[in-house]
Amino acid sequence: MSYRTLSILAALFVSSAFIPTMLAGPADDAFDQGQQALAAKDYTTAIAKLQQAVQLDPDSLRNSSQLRQAVLRQTIAAHPKEGSTADFDAEIAFFQKAAADHPMSSNILLNYGFAYVDKIPAAGSITQVILANTALTQFGKSIELKPTWIALYTRGNSYLYWPRVFARASLGVADLEKAYAMQKSEPKKSYHVRVYISLGDGYWKTDNIEKARSMWQEGLQAFPDSQPLKDRLSKQGDDLKTYIDNVLDPNKRVDTDLKELWMQS
Amino acid sequence: MNPLRIVAGFAIVGVAALAAAANSDRWFEDVTVKAGINAKHSNRVFHNPYAQIMAGYTALGASATVADYDGDGFDDVYVTDSKEGGKNHLYHNNGDFTFTDVAEKAGVANGNDENNATADALWFDYNNDGKPDLLVLRFGHNQLFENLGHGKFKEVTKAAGLDRYMNAITAVAFDYDRDGKLDLFIGSYFQPVNLFNPDTPRFFPESFETANNGGGVTVFHNNGNGTFTDVTEKVGLKTSGWTLDLGHADADNDGFDDLYVACDFGTDRFFHNNGNGTFTDITEKAIGFDTKKGMNVDWADYDNDGFLDIYVTNITDDYMREGNFLWHNNGNLTFSDVSRETGTSETGWGWGAKFFDYDNDGWMDLYVVNGWVSAGKDSYVPDIFEMVTRPGIDFADARNWPPMGNKSLSGYEKKRLFHNEKGQIFKDEAARHGVDSIKDGRGIAVADFDNDGKLDLFVANANSEPYLYRNTMPNGNHWVAFALEGTKSNRTAVGAQVRLTAAGMTRLQFINGGNSFAGQSSSRVHFGLGDTAKIDQIEVRWPAGEKEVFTNITADKLNKIVEGSGKKK
Repeated sequence: MSYRTLSILAALFVSSAFIPTMLAGPADDAFDQGQQALAAKDYTTAIAKLQQAVQLDPDSLRNSSQLRQAVLRQTIAAHPKEGSTADFDAEIAFFQKAAADHPMSSNILLNYGFAYVDKIPAAGSITQVILANTALTQFGKSIELKPTWIALYTRGNSYLYWPRVFARASLGVADLEKAYAMQKSEPKKSYHVRVYISLGDGYWKTDNIEKARSMWQEGLQAFPDSQPLKDRLSKQGDDLKTYIDNVLDPNKRVDTDLKELWMQS
Repeated sequence: MNPLRIVAGFAIVGVAALAAAANSDRWFEDVTVKAGINAKHSNRVFHNPYAQIMAGYTALGASATVADYDGDGFDDVYVTDSKEGGKNHLYHNNGDFTFTDVAEKAGVANGNDENNATADALWFDYNNDGKPDLLVLRFGHNQLFENLGHGKFKEVTKAAGLDRYMNAITAVAFDYDRDGKLDLFIGSYFQPVNLFNPDTPRFFPESFETANNGGGVTVFHNNGNGTFTDVTEKVGLKTSGWTLDLGHADADNDGFDDLYVACDFGTDRFFHNNGNGTFTDITEKAIGFDTKKGMNVDWADYDNDGFLDIYVTNITDDYMREGNFLWHNNGNLTFSDVSRETGTSETGWGWGAKFFDYDNDGWMDLYVVNGWVSAGKDSYVPDIFEMVTRPGIDFADARNWPPMGNKSLSGYEKKRLFHNEKGQIFKDEAARHGVDSIKDGRGIAVADFDNDGKLDLFVANANSEPYLYRNTMPNGNHWVAFALEGTKSNRTAVGAQVRLTAAGMTRLQFINGGNSFAGQSSSRVHFGLGDTAKIDQIEVRWPAGEKEVFTNITADKLNKIVEGSGKKK
């Protein structure tokens, strides 16, 4: 083997070793630029850069989540309170195309669903139902591709927001029980507290009051500082109903920022 | 004696005593049957290819409208039915809290036939002769009856130029151009498609939130010679929403009445009267655009700040949490919704709502009726949302809508009687006072039927008997009422504002021409005075524009005030 051949092989090895970094690099750069623009409240640049980051690294939970946060901040800056429905349409169209371009990306589908959730508080009550239903469809597709903890938690929690007459809370409980089983087999993460809260809420909404309290108790043992769990456990009867109805009010904006997840991933 | 019987006897006495105590705390007595005013309303059943679907969306037509049609000093009530062949009722007030149905004799009973279904009614003195005339609003052709006096009416619809097919659901009459005659504003729900034999299936709302294929508003200018002219476009009120209610009042105290249009399936509209015979749509500035289901409009100065506020009912249920609007008037043609802060936001599937001071404490209270269809135990909600979430659905096509059958939708809802706690919050006292029925309420009419100074309530319920609640409040709060007569202004003084000053406080009320859904209350102005019997003065701003001050007003009685008899201001 000649020196030249060795050099070429070495170069190839070095190149291939750098391929992931080279692919991730531009996405990271775009993400960083997007974050800087977001901090400066330059929403147009932030959205463009974060869209670029999503296109370069479509299955990144981080990139898609932050893109949605940028859109949210832009619309609320432009239309105080909950924004205007039209403000979310470009974002939804972007995720729709991204999902079509990357049909195997479960995180794109998840964030596509979240884009509909972000729009809900700005919409009228009937449109809210249509948006929530469409979001559920995308969450379902994401789970079909990859039943991750976040996807199961998200869909399960979403079902709980539906009024009782739709009888969807039991579907939520089924998803949340799967997410619960998953987190029991993983190292503890701060966001796991969400399943204790929501699964308890799901039990409460399906009239399993004892199971609900038991789940919240278990959650509080694991997360002793959790105020939402303390609040639930301190209430009974109508007080508890008022509290949970208030939490699960579809007119209120749901926090869909996934920073807690991608920061710990 | 058997000791058990003694115990049982004490128990019965105890229960009776408790019941008596409870009743003394209850200020409204249901006297419907005793008063002879209990004829049942029945919804219209259609006979066309869409009949089963339409049944769920036309559970309307129960209304109650008050006027002293025969001038005997007691307010009478016109109550509508909707079923084919069903008679409308003109209940003459006998003055002793009993009523006699004189509709047939008077010639105003026949409002329902195979081509027409009564939806509402309105008393207004269209020929300014001092006798209230009667407009019967219908899905079909409206009827205008001239009050001939002596308890007789004559239909003059064609002669008045009002004979056309409309799916009318509401109307108000006020003098928008201050020419001294009452003009007519009619709101229609469906567009003018013949509902009895539709030539298209596309007559349902095209959207649940932005529908613009409804019947809109039609404005008829009163020509002063017994005829009307359609001036809708000319005055700038061309709309195409699914109008459910109209409410007029002078929002900015400029002397010209403005108009709030409540629309189902879409945006309510606010029109400012420019003072030159035209209106401008200032919705965005005044109230913003909403996607709610506006059902009712009533105006009153609930916080006694000198500006008239607006209450609009919407739909608030487990599956649709819209919330009502209590539009606080900011005094600059903008309004802020304070319904949540005041506790008036959630009243179920709202219908008629009416401000009135039931305890004469000087603050306007609020009664709200609700409930869409109370039928079987199964809910219609999943059916409707199955349709809503179907991709690419054409909502305008009636064939796409699921029949309701015997299912319920927001049924069996309790009515609310909100007591005004000094303009800050409202406290629901409906259960305490026995006015929290669960029938499907539609219209409310408020009047002092026995002239005792306490305002009574009449409630029209869909597909059911009405309620007449007699106010039996034991407190001794003072009151004063006024019957206004215009001379330069329209004779019934619709649009007049009355500012009463007593005990260092000035309160504003006005005479409206039929505000609130499916109901029209007494045209008398009634003020509660609390523990004050001394009235410093009243200032009347007549519809024609002039202001007069009246002093030496006696409390605890009805006072007649004639335009031109006061001290000009």
